Amino acid sequence: MSDTIRLIALLSDATQTAGAIDELHALGVADSKIVVMSGVPYPERALGRHTEWLTLPWIVVAGAIGGFVFGLFLAVISPHLYRLDIGGHPPAAFAPAAVIVFVFTMMATIVSTFLGVLWEMDFPRFGRAPYHNLVTDGNLAVLIEIPADLQAKSRAIIEAHHGRHIGEPEWISL
Amino acid sequence: MSDAAAVPVGRADSQVEPQTDYDERLLLAQRTDAEINEAVLKPMLRTGKGFWALVAVLSGIIVWGLYAWSYLIQWGLGTTGKNRPVYWTLFITTFVFWIGISHAGTMISAVLRLLKADWRRPITRGAEAMTAFALMVAGLYPLIHLGRVWKAYWMIPYPNNRFMWPNFQSPLMWDLVAITTYLVSSTLYLYLALIPDLAMARDHTRGWRHRLYRVFALGWRGTEAEWHKLMRALAIFSVAIIPIFLSVHSIVSWDFAVTIQPRWHSTIFAPYFVMGAVYSGLSALAAILIIVRRGMRLQEFLRSEHFDALGKLIMVAGMGWTYFWFAGFIVEWYGNEPVVRALISQEVSGRLAPLFYLQMSANLIPIVLLALRKVRTTPAFLLATVLLVNVGMYTERLLIVIGSLQRNDIPFNWGTYRPTWVEISIVAMTFAGFALLYTLFSRIVPYVPVWEIKEGRLRYTMRRIGRLLVPTAADID
Amino acid sequence: MVRDVNTLIETKGDLPRWAMVVDLDRCTGCQACVVACHAENNVPVAGETSAAYGRWLHWIIVQRYWEGQYPNVKARFNPVMCQQCTEAPCEPVCPVFATYHNPEGLNAQIYNRCIGTRFCGNACPYKARTFNWFTPEFPEPLTEQLNPDVTVRTRGIMEKCTFCVQRIRRVEMATAAEGRRPTDGEIQPACVQTCPPSALVFGDLHDPDSRVSQLARSRRSFRLLAELGTDPAVVYLKGGETNV
Repeated sequence: MSDTIRLIALLSDATQTAGAIDELHALGVADSKIVVMSGVPYPERALGRHTEWLTLPWIVVAGAIGGFVFGLFLAVISPHLYRLDIGGHPPAAFAPAAVIVFVFTMMATIVSTFLGVLWEMDFPRFGRAPYHNLVTDGNLAVLIEIPADLQAKSRAIIEAHHGRHIGEPEWISL
Repeated sequence: MSDAAAVPVGRADSQVEPQTDYDERLLLAQRTDAEINEAVLKPMLRTGKGFWALVAVLSGIIVWGLYAWSYLIQWGLGTTGKNRPVYWTLFITTFVFWIGISHAGTMISAVLRLLKADWRRPITRGAEAMTAFALMVAGLYPLIHLGRVWKAYWMIPYPNNRFMWPNFQSPLMWDLVAITTYLVSSTLYLYLALIPDLAMARDHTRGWRHRLYRVFALGWRGTEAEWHKLMRALAIFSVAIIPIFLSVHSIVSWDFAVTIQPRWHSTIFAPYFVMGAVYSGLSALAAILIIVRRGMRLQEFLRSEHFDALGKLIMVAGMGWTYFWFAGFIVEWYGNEPVVRALISQEVSGRLAPLFYLQMSANLIPIVLLALRKVRTTPAFLLATVLLVNVGMYTERLLIVIGSLQRNDIPFNWGTYRPTWVEISIVAMTFAGFALLYTLFSRIVPYVPVWEIKEGRLRYTMRRIGRLLVPTAADID
Repeated sequence: MVRDVNTLIETKGDLPRWAMVVDLDRCTGCQACVVACHAENNVPVAGETSAAYGRWLHWIIVQRYWEGQYPNVKARFNPVMCQQCTEAPCEPVCPVFATYHNPEGLNAQIYNRCIGTRFCGNACPYKARTFNWFTPEFPEPLTEQLNPDVTVRTRGIMEKCTFCVQRIRRVEMATAAEGRRPTDGEIQPACVQTCPPSALVFGDLHDPDSRVSQLARSRRSFRLLAELGTDPAVVYLKGGETNV
């Protein structure tokens, strides 16, 4: 069983990176073993990789429904539990209830979006992780996990696409 | 490189290296990412004597205001100028004003993001911070104006052994919920968009700053998966926060409109207030940006194109405000109801006439001024114009809240109002509090959203159309 | 004319609907009602400067209007207290239910629940509500005269006329102990009790034979700001030129 090693390299251009990744794919490196880190979001599929389906939209919808139900409970049901009469209005009416339901639905949507995206990104994730400090200075860092025998070929591919600082990734505590 | 005949702009301040042409496009500037990072971090890390002097002055005003507030709690609301029938005065006025200010941030960061307006890129964070801090400051007022603030927690629905529950039909409860929602939303929005820049700051600083950014960057590395999820979350946020921002000021306006007080009981109040909020908020944002640009020397990032576009947006908001104001006024004036007539006459020709004409001129003149490119792109002129707008809009809230309460259906109950030092001190405290929060924010957090600017630079190239060389934005999301 | 209690308000069984009639043709503007109300309900005195600034605390106030020019000046007196509206605009706006509609049709004010937002004060078109701007002071020996049946309010609380609900309750409890209902005229709020020309009448509107019901059906009757639809329980009578 061959060891797997990690390699990191810095490239400066999306086209170079995409080319390098294509050739790495051809070499047999699986997409899940390639991580590209950048300081700028690149559009989906610009780097030639498939995008994953997110559960975030479902989390948001679930949160919104939860907020809707809670708002409904507060505005429509709770006045009947703690009954006090108000002159000229029934205890629960459409217009005031609509305001409360709307606001709680939106509150729950926002909070569930935030918590959902954190959950999906597995944040906060402190501790050591392979990273390069120059990522935010406009470089794309390509991190690959390959069996040891593919190391030389991978290096060659990356160098052909103007990669720099090729080597073992530094495990920086984030 | 400019897209129009560049108006030479005089810059009296000393030059920051390198030379930045104010009229050139930010997103086409010949700078590397590393240089941009450096340019953003430098003003953040530098705290000179001016900064500390400002902090000291603001803190002094805040301390005095806190003293005034404790005096108010100790002795009662009689220390203000309120009376019967003018039960709501400066506190509620300033409350509405701050809520109005808070609307600019969402306008810029959410609405313009959805419209893919690239000129928003350097200002979204400053705008969102303005929203968050304006809401924090505004949220103090429902507490300040309470007769028994120590019982304020009764507005929270919690089961208790007296079987008492708050009244969800009351607009004040809607206020409580809506403002909390908006505050939470804008803070989370601000933070979420901040994470990649905190990671950048984490990588470029040392010491306590590095530790602080490490914690709040949550271990961000910038992998494609992380970006994908963040962008998706920001898209959802942008869409979700717009109904919230429209509803918050509508709900605040319903504090007034649901009563049968003449002049308050008007269906136009909700859109009128929202439009006024956008107008005053964007003006306050422009004022803050001009001041911050000068104070933190961010001339490289806040260029004439941004103020030009912002000025045009303020002008449009002003025209919208005028339309809604007129729609309300003509209906009141025409109906000739006696109490409404008394209210209008006290404003147009009575004791409140100076305030009324101040309001109208301070709101309408800037609309005309902002049509001139010279005004929009000269920081000094723009600052004067937008400060005038803020004065006008504050006066407008004064007249709506206080002016309307002075007249009602039974003439025996007509009244008047004079502010006291307690009210003025507390109002000043909130202005200083906002300014202090903002100042500290600008030194702790990268003020300019660096990753959004870098993302924008990805999109922009120069393209030749015939004899013209035009900047072109790619339609990537 | 007065119409029946709104069906949105549940009146359990045959509960009374308390109402008051104010006969403006009898009112002399003597303000005995004001003083009696202060005494009965522990209402503090605001002082001359505060009162001039609109901070008087009278739960019932005699509004005085001058008509005409000298020597044909006439003073019109209008005693106004909380109108105990059936569809009170002050009730829905209180965030903590400090004011609500009790089953006997009264607009109840719960002092120790009020947190002082003063929204109800703005919403009331009659401006019948007053607010404790400062902590009330009762200089000695006025403390001996405080009514133990009524709470003494602190600063930050809205208050208003309650139709002397403590007197209503006292009589109701006493008569219930005797196994009967209160008769017409047995319950008298302080202002009604004190009024020298008997311009104020109090009673149960659900009893068609009570004096209040009969007077309310008079052709002289009107209600303040009736066009606003608040359906107040205070009926004013005005017909002749007796108020000179």
